[in-house]
Amino acid sequence: MDVGFIIDIMPEILEGFSTTVRLFLWSMLFSTPLGLALALMRLSPLGPFRWVAGFYGWLVRGIPLILIMFYVFFALPEFGEAFLLSPFWSAVAALSVWTASYQAEAIRSGVLAVDQGQFEAAEALGMTKLHYMRRIVLPQSVRIIVPPFTGNAINTLKQTSLATVITVPEMSLLTTRIISREFNALEPLLALAIIYLALTTVLVFAQQGLERAFRLKA
Amino acid sequence: MSDFDFDIIWTTWPILRDATWISIKLFVLSLILATAIGLAVALMRMSKITPLRWFAAIYVWIFRGLPALVILFIAFFWLGNNLGLTPFQSAILGLGVSSGAYKAEIIRAGLLAVDRGQYEASEALGFTKVHYMRRIIIPQGIRVMVPNYVSNSTLLFKSTSLATVIGLNELTGRARQLANSTFQPIEILAAAGVIYLVFTSLMTLSQGFIERRFALKT
Repeated sequence: MDVGFIIDIMPEILEGFSTTVRLFLWSMLFSTPLGLALALMRLSPLGPFRWVAGFYGWLVRGIPLILIMFYVFFALPEFGEAFLLSPFWSAVAALSVWTASYQAEAIRSGVLAVDQGQFEAAEALGMTKLHYMRRIVLPQSVRIIVPPFTGNAINTLKQTSLATVITVPEMSLLTTRIISREFNALEPLLALAIIYLALTTVLVFAQQGLERAFRLKA
Repeated sequence: MSDFDFDIIWTTWPILRDATWISIKLFVLSLILATAIGLAVALMRMSKITPLRWFAAIYVWIFRGLPALVILFIAFFWLGNNLGLTPFQSAILGLGVSSGAYKAEIIRAGLLAVDRGQYEASEALGFTKVHYMRRIIIPQGIRVMVPNYVSNSTLLFKSTSLATVIGLNELTGRARQLANSTFQPIEILAAAGVIYLVFTSLMTLSQGFIERRFALKT
């Protein structure tokens, strides 16, 4: 193993860093409101809302993310020009749809963990549902939602690597290009692994910081 | 867009079926490897010997911090090349090592949930550690592990689709090829999705059955 080569190769892999991070951030941006909407639908008293959200979760969490990416990239354009997305936006769409299904579960279980008495008291005080969800229930559930939510986010960051299958030039794809050019796999892969490990480790620390920030002040 | 063409699915069914079979074999073999690694790493993390605890903690940190794709790349491009492994063997190794890190945490949590008194009582009765872990602690811990173990295994089944990036023609990779060659990605990719859904749904349903199987008999 040649440590010098690992260091030499790193800047070339890091050219994909911003793509990886943009995949991650856009996916979080789209999946969070979608996940919230799905969670509220599953908690809704209206049957059709619950069914749609339940079906969504079953479908999206039942098939591999790579297959979702293939579907968005290869099959969707067949439905019409409007669905023809670039590889980058196909990956963002697939990652968002996928992440939202997991965030919906995280948010739903957080809301369910809020004491039933809080719902009853809010209703007894004459608050509308929209009002007490926003003002009473969601603020309390955030504390419970943060750990699984950030855990899912870390997963999404790792899964951005799958965008390589639809030729998005993120870090993993650049690394495979280096491997085939240099006929050498170990050093480029170690460089890639170090970058991912640094990223996920930073996010785990951020997760712990967020958990502390949302802890109940005694 | 033309109507959904079921004929193409029947025509390609033998190919999809064979590819599904590869996915299943890949799943079962990597699950066995992951479970063995997970158990070994979990026991090391609970060991009295400090270097073993460190080794286990580092294992979990590294392999949970890396995308499964990167681990698969290392297993294929580097180990596979040097040890002369086939893509199938590399995929088992990569998926097993990656999933093993998650299994280790699940198994450890299960063992830690066993009442402290059970350890103390076993020691007081003069059991050796190997003996009481095998006969007393692990059988009780399994009950706690089952739900997480099964849902994590469902993830592993979906992750077998990653093997497509190292050129293995499992279900996802084969479906993609067929989608290209038939020019009917909508139908073919949907068929693959349904096959995954059948298996993941069966696994989720079996979870209740397995939980009852390991439940306390009253």
